[in-house]
Amino acid sequence: MFQFINTILIGITAGAIYSLMAISIVLVWRSTRVINFAQAGMALLSTYIGYEAMVHFNSFWIALPVAMIGGAAVSAFIELVFMRLLVKRSSTGPIAAVAPIIATLGLLGLIKGVISTVWGGADVRLVGPVTNVGYSIGDKTLAFSPLKLLTLVTVVVLMLLLTVLFQRSSIGLSLRASAYSPEIARLSGVKVDFIRTLGWSLAGTSGAVAGMFQTINGNGAFSPESIEFSLLLITGFIAAVIGGLESLVGAVVGGLVLGLVISFVLMYVSGSLFFIAPFVILLIVLIIKPQGIVGTKVARRA
Amino acid sequence: MHKLKSSRNLGFFVVFGFILFLVGNRVDELRVYQGATIAVYVVAISSIILLTGYSGQVSLGHGALLAIGAYSAAVARDNFHAPVVLTFVIAVLAAAIGGALLGVAAARLSGPYLAGTTLALAIGLPSLANQFPIFGGEQGIFFDVGVPPASLGEDFTQYKWFFWIGALAALVSTWLVANILRSRYGRNWRAGRSNETAASLSGINVAGSKILAFTISAGIAGLAGALLSMTIGVVSPSAFPLALSFSLLTGAVLSGVSTLSGVMIGAVTLVAIPEIADVVATRLGVSETLTTNLPGLMVSSLLILTVLFVPNGPIEQHRTRHARKAAKEKN
Repeated sequence: MFQFINTILIGITAGAIYSLMAISIVLVWRSTRVINFAQAGMALLSTYIGYEAMVHFNSFWIALPVAMIGGAAVSAFIELVFMRLLVKRSSTGPIAAVAPIIATLGLLGLIKGVISTVWGGADVRLVGPVTNVGYSIGDKTLAFSPLKLLTLVTVVVLMLLLTVLFQRSSIGLSLRASAYSPEIARLSGVKVDFIRTLGWSLAGTSGAVAGMFQTINGNGAFSPESIEFSLLLITGFIAAVIGGLESLVGAVVGGLVLGLVISFVLMYVSGSLFFIAPFVILLIVLIIKPQGIVGTKVARRA
Repeated sequence: MHKLKSSRNLGFFVVFGFILFLVGNRVDELRVYQGATIAVYVVAISSIILLTGYSGQVSLGHGALLAIGAYSAAVARDNFHAPVVLTFVIAVLAAAIGGALLGVAAARLSGPYLAGTTLALAIGLPSLANQFPIFGGEQGIFFDVGVPPASLGEDFTQYKWFFWIGALAALVSTWLVANILRSRYGRNWRAGRSNETAASLSGINVAGSKILAFTISAGIAGLAGALLSMTIGVVSPSAFPLALSFSLLTGAVLSGVSTLSGVMIGAVTLVAIPEIADVVATRLGVSETLTTNLPGLMVSSLLILTVLFVPNGPIEQHRTRHARKAAKEKN
C-alpha cells in the first residue's frame, strides 16, 4: 500500500514536469502548426542560462526567472529569424510537409552543438532551493519532499497564469483567434505575426521551467547529453499527443497520465523499460484514441 | 519499354561498379575505409529517400531500424555461425518485419505524429538491447565478416574487403530501389504522397502501399545496419544514437529527398564533414571543445541551410532552373 502511494506521488511529480513540456509543445503547435522537436534542446539551453545565473547570484530564485526570460528570448529569436524564413521558403514541393519537422531537428542539433561548445560536455550542477529528502510518516519515508511540493506548486501557478492569460485577456483572445484561423484573425486586426512570436516565447518560458525542475528533481547534474533531456524530448511530445495537441488542459492531463503510467511500469514491471515504455504508450494512444483524451475529432490530419 | 529501361540502368550500375573497382585499387587504406562508409550511407540514405521522398512518410527513427538489422546479423553470425551472405539476408528480413509492424501503425498517422512516434522509437529501441543478455548490453557483441578469401591475393586488406562488400551491396540495393521507384509501386507512392484522396479514388490502396513502403525501406535500412556494424566490427546500443538517425536524415535532405540520383551527394558529404571540420579546426586553431563539436554543428547547419535554401535538393533545384531557362528561350 505504501509503495502504491509512493508510486502515485512519483508519477504525479514527474507528470507535472512532462505537463510543462507538453504545454510548450502545444503552445507552439497552436501558434504556428509546427511540432517543435527542438523544444527539449531549448529547455536545455534555458537550464544552462539558469545555471549561469545560479553561479553568479547563488540563488535559485534569481536563476529561475533568468532561465524563463532566457527561454522566452531564445524561443522568440528562433521564431523571428528562422521559422518565418522557413514558412516563406519551403512551402512547395515534395518536402513541404516534412520541412518544418526536419528543420526543428536541425535546430535541436545546432542548439546541442552550441551548448557543448560553450559549456563543454562535462556535467554541471544545479541545486534546488529546498531539500529533496522526503517527508516521513512514522519510520517510513514518503516519495514526496519539499522540493516535489515546490515543483507541483510552480506548475499549478504557471498553469493558472496561462489559463488567465488565455481566457481573460485580450492577448489570449488574439492567441486563440490566430490559432483558430490566421487569415480571419489578420482581417480582424490581430497582429498575427507578433502573436506567433509571443506563442513561441511563452512556450520557451514553460520549457525553461520544465528544464530547471527536471534537473533539480533528478540528481542535479546535467550535460548536453543528459538522458533527462532525451526523455523530456519524447515525454513532452507524447503527453501533448495524449492530450490532443490542442488544449492546455489536455497537455496537463496528458502529462499526468504519462507520468503515472511510466511510474507504475517502472515500479511494478521493470525498471529498465524507462525508454521503451513511453513509446508503447504513445502507440497505444495513437491507435486506440488518436484524437487524444480531451481532443476533439477534427484536428487530426495535420 | 519498362524492361529495356531497367536493363539499361543495369549497364550503368555495372560500369559504375567497375570504376569503383579500379578506384579502390589505387587509393590508400583510409580512403578505402571511407569508401566503405560511403557505401553504408548510400544504402541507408536510399532507404530514407524511398520512404520520405516517395511515399511521403517521415521517419526520424531509421537508426532503430539499422540497429535491428545490425543486431540480427550479429546474433546470426555469433550464435549460429551463419555465412556472411546469409547474415545480410537475415538483417534485411528482420528489419523488414520490424518495419512492417511500424508501418501498420504509421499508415494511420500523418506528418508530425509519425515523426514523433519514430523519434520515440529511435530513443527507446537501442536501450532495449540491455534487456536481453544475448545482445551483450552496453558493450555489445562482435560482428566479424571474416578475412578476405585467400584467392584475392596476399596484399588484399581487410578494409578493401569491407569496401568490396559494401560497394556491391550498395550497387545492388540502389539498383533495386531505382527500379522499385520506377515501377507501379513507386508511382502509387508518389500518387499517395501528392493527394491521398485522389490516389484512393484511382483505385490505389493508399494504406497498403504506405505499409509496403515502410517494409521495403526498413529492409534496406537493415542491410545498412549490418554493413555499418561490419565496418565498426561491434554492435552496441551506442552505435545507434539519435545523432545517427539525424545525420542520415541530413544526408537524405542534402541528396534531395525525392531524387535517388542525388544519393551520392549526401553520402559523400556525411563522410567528408568530419575531415573538413578537422581541416578547418587546425587551420583556424580553434579551441578544443569547438573542434570536437564542429562536425555536429556542421551537420546541423547544413541540414537547416538545405531545408531553407535548396529544400528539394541540388539536383532538383538544377533541373527546375534548367527547365525554367528552357521555357524562357522557347518564348
